Amino acid sequence: MPYLPFFYTDFFYEPLTEDVEELLSRFQHTDSVRYGVFSAIWRDMKFSDVFIGISINSEMKRFCRVALATAVKYFLPPYSYQIRVGGLYLMFAFYHTQLASTPAKIRLALKDWVHVQRFLMESEEAQHHDVVYIYHKLVASKAIHYTTMPHFLIFQKQQKPKICAEFLSRTAALKELQSADILEEMAGIQSHYKKLKEATMEVSFKVNMTYPDFTSDINKCMSEFFTWQQNALPKEKNAGADGVEETPEEYCSSRAMLLSSIKQKSYSNVQKASKSRRHRGAEKVQDYSSSGREQFQNPSGRKYVSLRARTWETLGGNDGKSNAQAWLLSTPEQLDGVPLKKMNQAAPYREYKVMKEAE
Amino acid sequence: MAASKQPTEPNSSIPEYEFVNVNTKPFHIGSFRDEWLKRLQPRDVSFQPVDQDTFEASFAEEMGLGEETMAELRSVCSVDSLRCHAEDQQPDEVVPTNSTLKTVTQRKKKQENKTSEKSSKNRHELYANELDRLTVGRVPETEDDMIPEGEVILTINIYFPGNFEKFNYIRPHMTLLMTGSHTLAELRDAICCVSDLQVCGEFSSTPDMAPDFISKDLFKSAFFFFEGVFYNDMRYPECQDISSTTIKWTKSQNFPSFSQAKMEDTRFVDLKVKVGFPYLYCHQGDCEHLVIITDVRLVHKGDCLDRKLYPLLIHKNRVLTQKCAVCHVFISRWYTTRDQFAPSDPCLFCDKCFRMLHYDKEGNKLGEFLAYPYVDRGAFN
Repeated sequence: MPYLPFFYTDFFYEPLTEDVEELLSRFQHTDSVRYGVFSAIWRDMKFSDVFIGISINSEMKRFCRVALATAVKYFLPPYSYQIRVGGLYLMFAFYHTQLASTPAKIRLALKDWVHVQRFLMESEEAQHHDVVYIYHKLVASKAIHYTTMPHFLIFQKQQKPKICAEFLSRTAALKELQSADILEEMAGIQSHYKKLKEATMEVSFKVNMTYPDFTSDINKCMSEFFTWQQNALPKEKNAGADGVEETPEEYCSSRAMLLSSIKQKSYSNVQKASKSRRHRGAEKVQDYSSSGREQFQNPSGRKYVSLRARTWETLGGNDGKSNAQAWLLSTPEQLDGVPLKKMNQAAPYREYKVMKEAE
Repeated sequence: MAASKQPTEPNSSIPEYEFVNVNTKPFHIGSFRDEWLKRLQPRDVSFQPVDQDTFEASFAEEMGLGEETMAELRSVCSVDSLRCHAEDQQPDEVVPTNSTLKTVTQRKKKQENKTSEKSSKNRHELYANELDRLTVGRVPETEDDMIPEGEVILTINIYFPGNFEKFNYIRPHMTLLMTGSHTLAELRDAICCVSDLQVCGEFSSTPDMAPDFISKDLFKSAFFFFEGVFYNDMRYPECQDISSTTIKWTKSQNFPSFSQAKMEDTRFVDLKVKVGFPYLYCHQGDCEHLVIITDVRLVHKGDCLDRKLYPLLIHKNRVLTQKCAVCHVFISRWYTTRDQFAPSDPCLFCDKCFRMLHYDKEGNKLGEFLAYPYVDRGAFN
């Protein structure tokens, strides 16, 4: 399958992503969504310097495309409202300060349109005029390309980006469940079922297909969760709020951090794919970290941590390096001539040598 | 504000990832375009630029804002607010020192490490810049040649036939832009492959007859394969349906059934494809190229709006060419074997050197050799 050197195909650029996260976290700490505040931080960091010093035209074009893609990433969910506002301002800033001869455009994918519209509606209701103004100014300057997907897809697996947990927004799934009136419907169906059962006198005491207090139990659980959310995590800075609190790490994000730390440990043992090996194709998933494999087989994008990783974590174990060594120590000596699979270059060879010397 | 609407069924015209950041699920291009146009206002897709005053007036009206607020917005949210240095900007080539940004420090490190004085202006750059200059924002002279607003533009990568002994990777040979109303046959005509120019046969006795036998004219059949459908080129009477052998074979194996269609009757808006997924273009019987549609989007005022220039080439990978063994100046056109005059077997010659060495003034063949017309891989540079 097609495989190009990563420089040409990466969707994001690591140092730029770090700079952008620095900018956005400074913006987050100001607890404001005003453009004036954002532009002050931009000027203070002299951010437009990121475009200076690229002499080759094609590299400049590539960098501008990557910069705008980075900004769009923070403009869309799952980030919190304030970060999304920062992403929008960043899109505006990058678009107008880029130095490419033909300006790169902001790519909005069809699947993300509903999120953009919702964001604008929230901003309009909260009367954040500068947010709406900046967005409409971008549209009027014809800065947007209406595309299929956020990036150009060439059938190559990308390196997984790290998500900064502090930028994520609080989960709203339960709130939506509550407001969707599903529970009222369920309670209605429950009472209907009860009535029907009472009509059939013979059977009604022998058989019960439902859990009688289902809806009230769910309601209790949900309200417990909400109170916990309120107490454990102070109010999130969203469209309507005007508080001075910081946006903290939430339970979901701390779990996400835990997962990512586990993955970091397992990734740190994996050889970065050298140019001569082609295992970045979509169908060949030869990642040596089990979490990587599971990640790929789950196209919906949810992360599963393997049992082994979880066990290591809970037992306070360290990385897979010791795992590899244990495996090799148990290799029987008659496999002397067999080439060992190179999971980890340094450790196995050492062990093998030790075994040989011991003979 | 509103509770999230649970969709009754996923809208298949809205492209989704099949594998995240790798490729999408199949979707119909025409319906995709309609979905976008449903969501946008005409002014968003029009080619007419919006001037500042009109924009502000309509914005103020829609949002119900007074002049004071508008004035404040205008001054705070201006492009000037993004200026980080005074009017006397640093020159573009010098990376600024003492910056806190990691991007800048990284770039500075790279620049310092670059020891060679290699000129950054290589051939590829020159050609790419030239292409850019000629096509971006180009408006045609006549109204008929103008691409209409709301048209879709597809970005298609055509790859070299894979040569895995030599290269670890496949690079796109060319990248083309096509509009939705173009047919697949037009895409086929735009693909340049040197195998189309190959001439079969040994021509040492008749060196002047070689150009009459180009493969492109002899073997005109070709097909595209997208999502289980073979699109054959049936424009000429010599074209055969070369996909029928494959279809017959798959029927005997356990494959889902494939169907056929005509290349010249299918426009891009009628296709149902996956973006980012490799498909096939086959011509000359066995010369196969991967085709990947990397992007589909609505046309924009900054694109080349002249329909006559499409299919538009935006990137071409240029290959080193083999030069003549004698003069090292011209690209070789002849390939000789068992040649008593040549320093090596086989040997390449340009036309002039070939004739000078192997034929006398009357055109008689001198000595023993076998000569074949040679088409260099870089013939399309």
